[in-house]
Amino acid sequence: MRADIRNRPDFASLHLVLSSGESVYTETGSMMGMDPKIKLESSLKGGFFAAAKRALMGESLVLNTYSATGEAQRLDLAPSQPGDVEAVELAGSTVVVQKGSFLAATPGVELDAKWAGAKGFLSGESMIMIRATGTGTLWMSSYGAIARVEVDGTYEVDTSHVVAFDESLTWNVTRAGGMKSLFLSQEGLVVRFSGRGRVWFQTRAAPNLASFLHPFRKLKPKSN
Amino acid sequence: MQIEVKHRPAYALAVVRLDAGETIVGEAGALVSRDTHVQMETSAGSKDQGLVAGLFSGLKRMVAGESFFQNRYTATGKAGEVTFAPALVGDVTVHPLEGTMFLQSSAFLCAPPSVTIDPSWGGAKSFFSGNGFVLVKATGSGPIAFNAFGAIKPVEVDGAFLVDTGHVVAFEDSLKYSVSRIGGGWTTFLFGGEGLVCRFSGKGRVWLSTRNPSAFGELMGPLLPQRES
Repeated sequence: MRADIRNRPDFASLHLVLSSGESVYTETGSMMGMDPKIKLESSLKGGFFAAAKRALMGESLVLNTYSATGEAQRLDLAPSQPGDVEAVELAGSTVVVQKGSFLAATPGVELDAKWAGAKGFLSGESMIMIRATGTGTLWMSSYGAIARVEVDGTYEVDTSHVVAFDESLTWNVTRAGGMKSLFLSQEGLVVRFSGRGRVWFQTRAAPNLASFLHPFRKLKPKSN
Repeated sequence: MQIEVKHRPAYALAVVRLDAGETIVGEAGALVSRDTHVQMETSAGSKDQGLVAGLFSGLKRMVAGESFFQNRYTATGKAGEVTFAPALVGDVTVHPLEGTMFLQSSAFLCAPPSVTIDPSWGGAKSFFSGNGFVLVKATGSGPIAFNAFGAIKPVEVDGAFLVDTGHVVAFEDSLKYSVSRIGGGWTTFLFGGEGLVCRFSGKGRVWLSTRNPSAFGELMGPLLPQRES
């Protein structure tokens, strides 16, 4: 398999050339272009229960698997958000990816949904994470650029900016600053990491764009 | 203190490295990440202001469209890092301020406490121009980081120059400015699709944004579901 990421960082896309028998599975809706000889199969990846759990957490029930039926078949993938794409190699290790940042993976990578705990859930921000584990390549996408930090100690990232992190880190969702800051700072919840490992975060957050656009929406006429 | 801007120009991120004991003031909501020993504190005014003076500073900023509260980040014990990003896509510029400059109210990202951010009373005309053209005044000495929607383009003015108010990011106070209609008469004003302009004169630098956020909002707003309030 040949993989390269083009049009970085503004509008990155993933370009794969698959050899006979090779396959990748992707988030639904990410296929941009493909060789018509590639076989597409939509499946409940990981079996029924894993898929049902993903569905409960707002992830797609179905993942798409693209398999090459001959040599040098091309598959182009595009994330839904403007921004970057990054590859992470897994060798028996586990990376936790924020829902919405998963783009694609090779078959040796297994996915499992994971709650971020009550605090993350109550915050209204989607702190639903995907555990990617196994051996292979994982591709993830960001809104904005992807910044990587090698954490050794403790580090905090705003929940809406988290893309992924090594599971070797311990993490919990908490508020930024003290009690006063919770209500007045306009800074929301953060993920606090400790230990050693990598954290990837995105330099823009979709909720901020939505908040900016909100006042420009037309007012619904009052019905009396 | 060192402010480095990474991932320019579309998705700029301000990476601030503080020495032990140093403080940076960040726009509320702009925090992306930090070392946990960089402590955050939320207050209306600066630390050395009393309660009343602090609340007054907060109110003044709020009237100007800035946040009432400011977040201060201090590296405790050792050097540390904190990063900030604007809400929208676009660039960040760091300007070594010595004296006074004006910023479009949503442009401020971060600066050390040696730079104070206050509303500027640019007169009723600019304040009520209806184009969201509200300025804040930054005074002091230190690196100030500001952001814009789109790329940021500095223009050295020597003489006179007109900028659409929706594209003004910042300018030096050595320039005189006034807000007026663009030329072309009332027909242009009403139907020409051009709004108000800021007329600069004198010698100094103006920073423009290559996109107008209000124009983007006007484009997107009608395409979104209607809002209740």
